Amino acid sequence: MDPKTVHIEFTLNGSPRSLEIPGAASALWVIRNLIGLKGAKEGCGIGECGACTIEVDGKAVNSCLMLAAQLDGADVLTVEGLASEDGLHPLQSSFLEHHGVQCGFCTPGLLMSTHALLKENPHPDHAQVSKAIAGNLCRCTGYRQIFASIEDAVKHNSGEAAQ
Amino acid sequence: MMNTGYVRPRTLEDALAFLAENSGKTRIVAGGTDVMVDLRAGTLKTDYLLDVSRLQALRGIEIIGNDLSVGAAATLSEIYNSAILEAHAPALQKSAVNFASKQIRNVATIGGNVAHCSPCGDTLPALAIHEARAVLSSPAGERQVPIEAIASGPYMCALPQNEIITRFILKPATVAFADFQKIGRRKELAVARMSMAYMADKDAEGRICFFRFALGACTPTPQRNHRIEAMLTGQIPDAARIWEAGRVLAEDTIAVTGRRASAVYKESAIQGLFMRMVYPLV
Repeated sequence: MDPKTVHIEFTLNGSPRSLEIPGAASALWVIRNLIGLKGAKEGCGIGECGACTIEVDGKAVNSCLMLAAQLDGADVLTVEGLASEDGLHPLQSSFLEHHGVQCGFCTPGLLMSTHALLKENPHPDHAQVSKAIAGNLCRCTGYRQIFASIEDAVKHNSGEAAQ
Repeated sequence: MMNTGYVRPRTLEDALAFLAENSGKTRIVAGGTDVMVDLRAGTLKTDYLLDVSRLQALRGIEIIGNDLSVGAAATLSEIYNSAILEAHAPALQKSAVNFASKQIRNVATIGGNVAHCSPCGDTLPALAIHEARAVLSSPAGERQVPIEAIASGPYMCALPQNEIITRFILKPATVAFADFQKIGRRKELAVARMSMAYMADKDAEGRICFFRFALGACTPTPQRNHRIEAMLTGQIPDAARIWEAGRVLAEDTIAVTGRRASAVYKESAIQGLFMRMVYPLV
């Protein structure tokens, strides 16, 4: 086996995936450039901005700091997996309603960090939300609208926001 | 990126065998949060990435006899959520609270934090006060080294390249007082400019009968400060004594770093942070 190319199998947004990837490729690079899902963004590339946040086995991670090879066997969720045929995910609707999106670059990462938080804790308080999204930078909103979006989604959360 | 291979052996024995064969051209990776930054910057060139994050031998946090064992691949989130650490190494648990961001805590490991040898690794002062030893495995067997002997300087690892840190052995302590504090440029996701950990107990008369302290980020490698440990042990704590110990700590630190431009700030900040952290003893 030539370890410079690695075979990985994982679940992406509910569908099984199987592909050959360069050994040192980041999860972000593979998701964007091999799979073609452009929701997760590269902002800083060094784990400071959170624009690349995805969920791996239910946990928020920076996909720029994870080797794609480490996705092998994992259950991966990107922002593209949030909406269903029935429409937007409640968190997404709440971001729209409360103007939590301006330029939109940070939005996929913020949605994924929040989604992972609500899985752990369906009714977080302000401080818990703040802690969970501290690794996601937004340079447009000043965060007030983002908190409003999340806190309204939490208020109406009867469990579906973590689905 | 195209010239680097990735291997993920199933067992520690396989990993050690690979490392023995490819020593010098292999970089060990667990959470990857430091390695990926260096790869992207081009400062890390390596033939192979050896993924140890799933090795069973590197996982788990448990009490074994009189020792507290923390697997090298334990993530910062696992440390943060560990009831065992909360009871037996509370300062270490606290060091995980404000470690980087949630996304990084979910994958970054304590073994990586130590092996990266950054002077500002947040887990280091807490490991130092528990007199932690790293358990190193190689095909020749196991050996233990004190945590303070792993870094020979900033980002300089003193360990041979054919060894893997499998776990840390700490002296567990059930104490009434313990904390970790740091100063960064902001509250979350900031590299520590200064960090410190302590644990202490008082006897029935209110005297400090046990005091352990270590300082991180200010000196090339994090260190315990035995001088202020001795100063405070046996004393009835009051604000003046703690303030004086903070002054001695600042003096000792500047003696190591030299009087640089930042000393004016650092002296006051070290003394102030020490006061804030240890004041609950009063």
